[in-house]
Amino acid sequence: MRIFQIQRYSAIALLVFLTIHMTVVHYPPFHIDFTRILERMASPVWKTIDIFFLGFVLAHALAGAYMVITDFESMYGVRRAMIWIAVIIGAIAFVYGTKTILAFQPPV
Amino acid sequence: MYTSTGYISFLLRRVTGVALVIYLFMHMWVIGSANGGPEVFDARLNLVQGPLFKLGEIALLAAVVWHAIDGIRLLIVHYFDVTEYRRSMFWAAIVVSAILVIAGGIPMLTFMLEEMGG
Repeated sequence: MRIFQIQRYSAIALLVFLTIHMTVVHYPPFHIDFTRILERMASPVWKTIDIFFLGFVLAHALAGAYMVITDFESMYGVRRAMIWIAVIIGAIAFVYGTKTILAFQPPV
Repeated sequence: MYTSTGYISFLLRRVTGVALVIYLFMHMWVIGSANGGPEVFDARLNLVQGPLFKLGEIALLAAVVWHAIDGIRLLIVHYFDVTEYRRSMFWAAIVVSAILVIAGGIPMLTFMLEEMGG
């Protein structure tokens, strides 16, 4: 799959996930703390939705960053290396983000 | 060329995109404090709930909304082959974005003022 396609397909997925995120998590605005977030995150369905959201947002962000950086002529020669850097950053961020989502557990 | 709607759209998409990538990793750093437990999470979250950050959140909302609406415009132009409407769709995207930012920004601003008032 080409980077351009990753950007397009993740954008379509994000339109759905971001709308859910903004309307459920941030609207109307309220004071956010761990307990308040836990009310929603106690459900495995929300955890799953957020992990998918994380995956799509990272794919879109890193594909976008790659395109912006490689637009500069001086970076054109290192575009293959840029792909690997993006993959590594994406993998680390995905693992860290998933770990964070799973950290929202009720105290035992 | 530099005043065409195509160029302005390209520039705004790139600028908001870069800003959103930076925000994404900052957001992950803040929310990632949940790994340290509820106290660490609440302490770090309190750092970013002051009035200045609330105003920043309205700017963030504007960046997200514009990036998304302009993205929808691009998807429509690409998949439905309506290039002749590109220019008018750009202005429509600005109007729709402005409405959404006002609709989302007013409750955020009201909430910020309520919190400041104690």
